Amino acid sequence: MRYNVSLPWWAYAVMGLGLAVFIGLVGLSIRRNHGIKRSLFSAPYTMWMILFTILPCILIAYYAFTDTAGNFTLDNFRTFWDSNSEMKKLVGEEYAASIPRGTVNVDTLVYSLWMAFLCTVISLLLGYPAALFMADRQMKLGASIVVLFVIPMWMNFLLRTIAWMSLLEDNGLINMMLNAMGFKSVRLMYNSGAVLLGMVYNYLPFMVFPIYTSLSKQNPSLHEAAADLGCSPMQTLTKVTMPLSLPGVISGITMVFMPSVTTFFIPRVLGGGNTMMFGDLIESKFLTEGNWNGGSALSLIMMLLILISLSILRKADPNGEGSGIV
Amino acid sequence: MIEQEHLIDLQHISKDYDGVTVLDDINLYIRKKEFVTLLGPSGCGKTTTLRIIAGFETPSSGKLLFEGKDILDIPPYKRRVNTVFQKYALFPHLNVFDNIAFGLKLKKMPKDEIKRRVQSMLELVNLTGYEKRHVDALSGGQQQRIAIARSLVNEPEVLLLDEPLGALDLKLRKEMQLELKSMQQRLGITFLYVTHDQEEALTMSDTIVVMRDGHILQIGDPKHIYDEPANAFVADFIGESNIFRGTMVRDELVAFAGREFPCVDFGFGENVPVDVVVRPEDITVVGEDVGQLVGTIRSVLFKGVHYEMIIDCGEYTFKVHSTTMQPQGSRVGLSIVPFNIHIMRPMDTPKREAADDAV
Repeated sequence: MRYNVSLPWWAYAVMGLGLAVFIGLVGLSIRRNHGIKRSLFSAPYTMWMILFTILPCILIAYYAFTDTAGNFTLDNFRTFWDSNSEMKKLVGEEYAASIPRGTVNVDTLVYSLWMAFLCTVISLLLGYPAALFMADRQMKLGASIVVLFVIPMWMNFLLRTIAWMSLLEDNGLINMMLNAMGFKSVRLMYNSGAVLLGMVYNYLPFMVFPIYTSLSKQNPSLHEAAADLGCSPMQTLTKVTMPLSLPGVISGITMVFMPSVTTFFIPRVLGGGNTMMFGDLIESKFLTEGNWNGGSALSLIMMLLILISLSILRKADPNGEGSGIV
Repeated sequence: MIEQEHLIDLQHISKDYDGVTVLDDINLYIRKKEFVTLLGPSGCGKTTTLRIIAGFETPSSGKLLFEGKDILDIPPYKRRVNTVFQKYALFPHLNVFDNIAFGLKLKKMPKDEIKRRVQSMLELVNLTGYEKRHVDALSGGQQQRIAIARSLVNEPEVLLLDEPLGALDLKLRKEMQLELKSMQQRLGITFLYVTHDQEEALTMSDTIVVMRDGHILQIGDPKHIYDEPANAFVADFIGESNIFRGTMVRDELVAFAGREFPCVDFGFGENVPVDVVVRPEDITVVGEDVGQLVGTIRSVLFKGVHYEMIIDCGEYTFKVHSTTMQPQGSRVGLSIVPFNIHIMRPMDTPKREAADDAV
């Protein structure tokens, strides 16, 4: 199965034209706008969106609904439900009986959603108190905690994850310390727990910062008013501080859940291949199998799921006070 | 026996912030059902005093008695006082009803009782029918009244108000002043009111406490404070004043503005430096030949009810309020009856300069 990666000549023509219009409009918007409609100024961004967001989406949809020859087909989705049929093709019909029925792809999707859910919940449980400390004006530590959360982000995402390896592996730092104290080595890596740890570690800042922002924007006299009207410090937290930080919580959840579902690489490094997630699956479809049509179908399913979860979140925050990404 | 009717007693209350003294040995009592106003320029410590009573600040030293018991160790949510905040501090995630019901719900009051009380509160503040409104959708004056209702519904012993009318326009402010005063009288609740607006203080208070630099300068009823200011600062802060440095020549004779004036004060001693205060409305413009002083009108401003004239008499300048106007540049005489000349001892030397700046 060879794929023709190069695009037809007209695709390059469209892109070239788009680029020309883009550059032209940027030039125009720099000049004083005599006789030019204001709405035209947004054209470069519209063009950008079309070129780099909408066009790729259309391409993914196109690939998802076609076979290698470019004919319309739903096979890509069928194999999603029954991924073993693919394997059947590989091993031949005579061995088909020996392949367990089941849908590896669907299992992976469910596993990814479950891991993303756990990651989001843990990030929220860890992140909210952290954000509270950071936003507390009386806590002098607040600023230094902010720095603690920012510093790891100066490092590359892959590097950070690999760094965890050297901590967790069988001869890693933690086990070395355990040995030194006379304990036996513990297997810390190559399981879902390690993957979850890696995910929470990487995505926690995305939970903390939106919550921190919405907490630090709160008018401190609201907290005093609550106390004045009879709220104990705990009641002030649950009745005033928390409800008012809801927009921050929602955008935090969004910002953690979305990348969590599509996580790849982390499972491969920390999970050791036993814990494939949906992101890895898509990646391997494209890059290992070279199956663009199958990979596109999986991506489309993923996009659909994200859209659904976003619209649920939007319901929880009808005012749209969360960040602009919802 | 008098002690018993003191609801709140501040005894030797001091407060430092990082070595800066904000309140210095404040002693003050507040009686039941009294309308007390803390009046002073910004930074005088009036809001800090209020916040100490509310429990948001802890004094560095001193005692705070509530009905005779020290309440400094009691956290704000257990004190029987409620606060109306400067910028209202209404809860933006709750509607009008839930804002007002906030305190009652915490007390686990039955639902229909809460409803009844909120209704009658809304009636009191003239906002019946606003229960379901979002607080952000209300005007400043309405938010203000919701904030007052939210505090009053808890039937506090004392209502603390921190410049509650500061954000309102002049007309609304005047209306709210009258409303607040009549509410206080109807409900019989003690009000402790903080403001820098002397007119507000004069209009509403039973007792005014004038503060400056963390000290209490004078306590008294509005008329007393206006007519008998304790020192030049109070005189200047309450209403407008002409303030001069003078010398008490002997009893009932004072020298200032380049000549001697008969007055009614005595007991200062002879040739003692004093501050002399004359209200602008107490100076009469007369003919050039009959005035105690003669001056030239530098400027005339129309102020609505009266004209404000600035009159130069040699090196001294007088501000005069009069319902009749003299043209700018004309020579006039000024006359002051002895009763209207207020003599006061100069304030302590270090504060003297600040008082001059204020003048």
